[in-house]
Amino acid sequence: MPDTSTILEFILIIVKAGAIAMVLFGLPLPLTWLERKIAGHIQVRLGPWRVGPHGLLQPFADMIKLLMKEDIIPYKADKFLFVIAPLLAMVPAFAVFAAIPFGEKVLIPGLDYELTLYLSDMNVGILYILAMSGLGIYGIILGGWASNSKYSLLGGLRSSAQMISYEIAVSFAVIGVVMLSNSLSLLDIVRAQGGNLLHWNFLYLPVGPVWFFIFIIGSTAEINRIPFDLPEDEGTLAAGFHTEYSGMKFAFFMLAEYIAMVTVSVLAVILFFGGWNAPFSIPFPIPPIFWFVGKVAFFIYLFMWVRFTLPRYRYDQLMNIGWKILLPLSLVTVLVTGLMRLYL
Amino acid sequence: MIEQFFFYMFAIVAVVTAVLVISVRNPVHSAFYLIVCFLQVAAIFILLRSPFLAAVQVFIYVGAIMVLFLFAVLVLDIGREQFREHFHGQTVTALAALLALFVVMGILLVSGKITAPLGPFDEPALMKNTEVIGKSLYTSYIFPFEIVSILLLIALIGAVVLVMRGQGKESKD
Amino acid sequence: MAEDKGSILELIKKVLFTDFVKGLTITLGYNVSRSITHKYPDEEKWVPYRRFRGVHTLNRTEDGRELCVACELCSKACPTQCITVIPMEDDTGRGIADRVAKVWKVDLVRCLYCGYCEDACPTRAVRLSREYELACTDLSCTVRQREELLKPVQVPESFEGGVVAKSEFLRSKRGIKVKVDLSSTRKRPL
Repeated sequence: MPDTSTILEFILIIVKAGAIAMVLFGLPLPLTWLERKIAGHIQVRLGPWRVGPHGLLQPFADMIKLLMKEDIIPYKADKFLFVIAPLLAMVPAFAVFAAIPFGEKVLIPGLDYELTLYLSDMNVGILYILAMSGLGIYGIILGGWASNSKYSLLGGLRSSAQMISYEIAVSFAVIGVVMLSNSLSLLDIVRAQGGNLLHWNFLYLPVGPVWFFIFIIGSTAEINRIPFDLPEDEGTLAAGFHTEYSGMKFAFFMLAEYIAMVTVSVLAVILFFGGWNAPFSIPFPIPPIFWFVGKVAFFIYLFMWVRFTLPRYRYDQLMNIGWKILLPLSLVTVLVTGLMRLYL
Repeated sequence: MIEQFFFYMFAIVAVVTAVLVISVRNPVHSAFYLIVCFLQVAAIFILLRSPFLAAVQVFIYVGAIMVLFLFAVLVLDIGREQFREHFHGQTVTALAALLALFVVMGILLVSGKITAPLGPFDEPALMKNTEVIGKSLYTSYIFPFEIVSILLLIALIGAVVLVMRGQGKESKD
Repeated sequence: MAEDKGSILELIKKVLFTDFVKGLTITLGYNVSRSITHKYPDEEKWVPYRRFRGVHTLNRTEDGRELCVACELCSKACPTQCITVIPMEDDTGRGIADRVAKVWKVDLVRCLYCGYCEDACPTRAVRLSREYELACTDLSCTVRQREELLKPVQVPESFEGGVVAKSEFLRSKRGIKVKVDLSSTRKRPL
């Protein structure tokens, strides 16, 4: 019979997992609103305006619309894979967050209990995250294939090629960070960047910024956002892999995409910008989670900002950037980082 | 108790999906079942206290190699008639090999030789299993490790050479 | 050497993402700038210039007599034959002459708003007003009769136009209407 503390721990883990899942399910709602609002303002428009004050209720209206929409499965589609593909895209996106830390321990005032702000501190955390986020691609490939449509198939194919090309660069960037902080655990990576701004991996000159740019470019390609959103290239592929999807299945794909964006933002903050560490010492206390959320919010804004600044790359340009620039650059930088770690 | 339950769950799913890989007709479905099978194997690695191997299994096999498989399968032009052919006339040989495997495994099980010792590592040391693997790879197993790297490098260069030769012909024509 | 220097400069520019940063600054500038969207119909409405050609209107003299003499020139000039004029005699002083229109109707679905009727009119009775909200729920509003067209329009011809005026959005059983307040206007941003 396990004692009460073990049971309590178990319940706590379930509660935390549930809380994270709820937040992740809820997060795409404000993010869609934000994306459309930013799109509007960058194009000197207003964006959503008429549903609720400043269009704040627009995501709920969209949600109702998606729920009510007819769920179409194309004739001659592969029904099993067609139905399961949105789930294949969504589940890994959620699973990634099992390993992501949001902060150190927090003392709950009333209960005198220390709550850890992470689900698990794996010693292979970063590998787990890379592996899991790589799984999301199957939703896109299999969904594209199962739709039995040319556009979808091409979207899926492009996606797989893009993923293979950029996964390598992203992994190298992560290797760089692991070399800088001597651990595969995300908690240790953040702890290694404690102190002030100058300890952040981004400012580990001269390789820090290089790793960061390799990471952010590769991740942008992996989460299929402009300027690398070739799998759903509206100009040439209708909507790419989700051309044939409607209703809730389409919503699942969108959900997965937004969560992937959040994941990459969180990873960028943890790996390069010191996680929840404050950039400089401040006389009055600010909860670390504030820094964390603030930094993540900045990166989410950056992704949206870039989306409405740049046009889409051509497919050959995409491959060139991946194989001819990012890969050699990351190999050289691994060498430089190793030498710096050894002799500095 | 719980561990055994999970082990049987993963093992059964792994075996079932492995059988499905070779028995379904559609190559994309085969690939899908292979992915599921790999994931189960990764889960069993976690039960064996080697999270590093599990992560690498998912990362390399599921995340990269299977994507390439799928890519190749998707661009292959396979006609419907080829799906009919099922086991490509290997049924007898395959069954014989399977039987032989079961016999060997049975003998090993009965004689009690299949339980491998944990080695010099206890539970807490195994939790830091990444370090253990890294150290043994670069110390006691450095020679096989380097051999494997050179093999991979040769394969890589070979692929590039093959592609280059094809290109040269095209430009001459 | 000069060429080399240029290419090195290009390389440095590429490495530092200068063009990308330039683009980002531009979009950021737009992001924080005021939007140019008109809040039509809730708060403001675009009042067009005088040259705008909207729904027809029939004018009266200052003492209230109809200017139309039912000469039918407008219907003759109309390229789509959307104007129907039936004249009648009336010497009670309704019009400026004894001949007035018994029926003067225009089919707005056929009309292409070319303004030829305006040009053809010898008494300047027909004008194309600045009314452009033509949407309705059935076909009844597509044909405008004389009685309706004789009513004074919201934006009088004397008003210069080319501004955004404050407006009020009115919903009623009969349909929706946007009332403009010509006294408070602003220039169009851009």
